[in-house]
Amino acid sequence: MNDEKKLLNVTIDGVELEVPAGTTILAAAERVGAVIPRYCYHPGLSAPAVCRMCLVEVEGAPKPLASCVQPVQDDMVVHTNTAQARKARRAAVEFLLMNHPLDCPICDAAGQCELQDYAFETGQLKTRYVEPKLVMGRDKVTPEIVYFADRCILCTRCVRFMDEIAKDPVLVVINRGQRGYIDTMTGELFENPFSINIVDVCPVGALVNEDFLFKARAWDLDQTASICPGCSQGCNVSLGTKEERIVRAKPRFNPEVNSYWMCDHGRKTVINWGAGARIEVPMARDGDELKPVDWPQALDALSEAIGNEPGRARAIVSAGASNESLFTLRRLMEELGSDGGVFRVPTGPEAELPGFPKLKLRRDRVPNAKGAELLGFQRSDAVFDSAQGHRGALFVLEDTLEGAPDGFGTNAELFVYIGTRLNPAARSADIVLPSTTFAEMAGTFTNFEGRVQRFEQALRGPGLARPWWLTGSALLERLGAGGRYRTAAEVFAALASEVSEYEGLNYEVLGLKGAGAPGSSAAATAG
Amino acid sequence: MSDGLHPAVVSAQPSQRDEKNPDAPLFEGEYQDRLEKILSRYPFKRAALLPVLNMAQQVRGWISPDTIKRVAEILELSPAYVRSVASFYTMFQLRPAGKYLIQVCTGIGCDLCGAEDVVEGLLKATGTRIGETSADGKYTVVEVECLAGCGFPTMVQINDRMYENVKAEDVEGLLKELD
Ligand code: SF4
Ligand code: SF4
Ligand code: FES
Ligand code: FES
Repeated sequence: MNDEKKLLNVTIDGVELEVPAGTTILAAAERVGAVIPRYCYHPGLSAPAVCRMCLVEVEGAPKPLASCVQPVQDDMVVHTNTAQARKARRAAVEFLLMNHPLDCPICDAAGQCELQDYAFETGQLKTRYVEPKLVMGRDKVTPEIVYFADRCILCTRCVRFMDEIAKDPVLVVINRGQRGYIDTMTGELFENPFSINIVDVCPVGALVNEDFLFKARAWDLDQTASICPGCSQGCNVSLGTKEERIVRAKPRFNPEVNSYWMCDHGRKTVINWGAGARIEVPMARDGDELKPVDWPQALDALSEAIGNEPGRARAIVSAGASNESLFTLRRLMEELGSDGGVFRVPTGPEAELPGFPKLKLRRDRVPNAKGAELLGFQRSDAVFDSAQGHRGALFVLEDTLEGAPDGFGTNAELFVYIGTRLNPAARSADIVLPSTTFAEMAGTFTNFEGRVQRFEQALRGPGLARPWWLTGSALLERLGAGGRYRTAAEVFAALASEVSEYEGLNYEVLGLKGAGAPGSSAAATAG
Repeated sequence: MSDGLHPAVVSAQPSQRDEKNPDAPLFEGEYQDRLEKILSRYPFKRAALLPVLNMAQQVRGWISPDTIKRVAEILELSPAYVRSVASFYTMFQLRPAGKYLIQVCTGIGCDLCGAEDVVEGLLKATGTRIGETSADGKYTVVEVECLAGCGFPTMVQINDRMYENVKAEDVEGLLKELD
C-alpha cells in the first residue's frame, strides 16, 4: 500500500511533475496536456500494447517505449514529440495504412477517426507501398453492427470490451498479420445487451452501427450533454443531433454511473423518444371540438377554468417528465387542493454489465421514477383507477394515456392534457397543452439511487411546444401563486428549497455529472 | 525419389487425409492417455492448447467447429478463443482438405526463388484455386509462410512429407509421384 502512494519525479516534454508509482507514461503525459497517440489503449480496458502507436523517447532507453504500459520510473525524462518518437509513430501508421482502403469519403468514422487524425499528424501523406491492397470485405457481427474488415487495424479494443467488460468473449482475432480480422466462433451473429459499445471503442470505422450508417457526417453533428431516458440508471450520454433530429446517442464518461458505456436499449430509446406525430399547438375545447389556440388564449382559458373552482386536483404523470415539470405541476395542484398524483412504470428484464457492475439496464424503464416519488407522486399499477371517476380537476402530464379506459376523464370538471402525443383518450380533454421531450428542454432526472443529473436542450420543440414548467409557472404567476421562472435552473432552485432530499443542490453543484441528494445513497459519491 | 525431389522429413505418422474420419472420437483410448500426459506437462490448461489441437488434427484430419468446441470444453476456454489460436497457425487446417494437402512456402526465401511459379503450376495442374479442393477430392493447394527449409527453396509440404528445391517444372512429376 505504501508503495502505491509513493510519488515519483518525472519530466515530460520539459515539464516536471510528480505522479504516484504505477502511473503509465501515457497517463502522466495527459496530466501535462501531452496527448500521446494511441490505438489499442482505451482508458476503460486493459492495455495489451499491440499497436505500437504510443511510442515515446525515454532518455537512457535504447529504443522507444510503449507509453501505454510503461510505468513511470523515478527521475525519468520523457520526450513525446522528438524526431525519434515521431519517426517511430510514422512507421506504425505507415504499416497500418498498407492495406487500409482509405475510403474516408464514405466511412462513418471520418471526422472522428483516430487513424485519420494521427496519419495527418505524423505527416506522411503518401504510402511507399506499391503492391495491390488486400481486400477482405465486410460482414455483420450482430444484427445491427457491420464490420468492415479492410478498415480494421486489429487494435483488439472490441475483443477486449466483449471479454473484459461484457464478460462475453465472443469476438476474437482470426488469422494473423495482414490477413487478420475480427470474428465470432463460427462467423455467426452474436447478441449482447451492451454490444454497441464495441462501435464506440473502435478507433476507426471498422465497426459501425447500422442505425447510423451513412446517415450523417460526424462533423455535421451538434453534441449535447444529456441523460438517457431508457431506464432508471440514468446513463450520461451525448446526443448527436442534425437538422433538429437525434441521430445517435453516445455514452458520456461518468465514473459513478456508466463509466464509458451504455446499453443498446438506451440508444434505441433515445432515438425513438418523441418520434411520431406531435402535438404542436395548444388546443381548447369549443363545444365538441378541440380548437387550436395560441398560448395567451390557452392560458386565459386555463386560468378561467381554474378560477371557476373545478374542485380538488388529481394527476397522472409520466416518470419520464423532468423534476422541474413535475414540481411545477405539484405547485399548481396545491393551489387547487391536491388529491394526489400517480405514475406508472413500464418494466423489462434487468441486464448487468459484469465488468462495470454499477451499470445495469434497470427493470424500471423510465428515467425519473425516483424523482416523481420524491415529489410526492405515487407509483401505481392501476393509474387509471383513481382518475377514472374523479369529478374535480384532472391533470395528465406526459403520460401517453395508452390503455386508458373508454370515457376516461369525462367525469372531471376540468381535464387538462399536457403532453407530446394526442392519443384518443387525450381528445376528451378540455385543454391540451403541447410540451417538450427531454431532448427539447433543459432539466433534471433523479436516478434509481437518488442521483440528480442535468440534461441540456439539444433540439427545438416542434411548433409551439414548450416545456411544461415554463407554461405552468406562467400560469402560477397569473394565479398570483408565485414568481415566474425563466429557466429550469430557477425551478430547480425553488424545488431544492422545498424538498428536503434536494437540499443544498443547484444546477451549479450538479454540473454535468450530477450529484447525489444529501441523505440519499448517492450522496457519498457525489462529485 | 527421382527428378531431384528429395523427401526430407518423413513423418513417423503418415497422415493421408482420406484415412482420417472427421467424426472420429477425440480423446479416447490411447488419445485419452496422451491428453492426460500433455496436460500434466503444463502449469495450467490453456498452455496445453497447441499440443491438444495438434493431436485433434492428427485424429480427425482437420480442426472442425465441433473439434474446436470439444477442445474449448476440455481446456476451459471460449470456443472463439480456440478458433482464434488455431487460425493463427497455418499448420492447423480449419477446412477439410483433399487427399493431398499441398502446402507451398511463399515465405521470403522461397518467394525470391520462384515460389509464385510453383504455386501457379500446382494450381494449373490440379485445376483449383488457393485453398480450394479439386473436384475429384484429391488436391488442396495452400500457401504457407516458411517451412523452415529456407536453404532449399522452394519448399513444398504434401501431407507430412517435405519436398526441397521444387521448381515450377517439377510440378507434374511431383503430382504423378503421389498416385
Ligand atoms: S474492429 Fe475496430 S476495435 Fe475491433 S480490432 Fe478492428 S479497429 Fe480495433
Ligand atoms: S442502462 Fe438505462 S440509462 Fe443506461 S443506457 Fe441503458 S437504458 Fe439508458
Ligand atoms: S497504445 Fe500503446 S501500444 Fe497501442
Ligand atoms: S522461406 Fe520458404 S522455407 Fe523458409
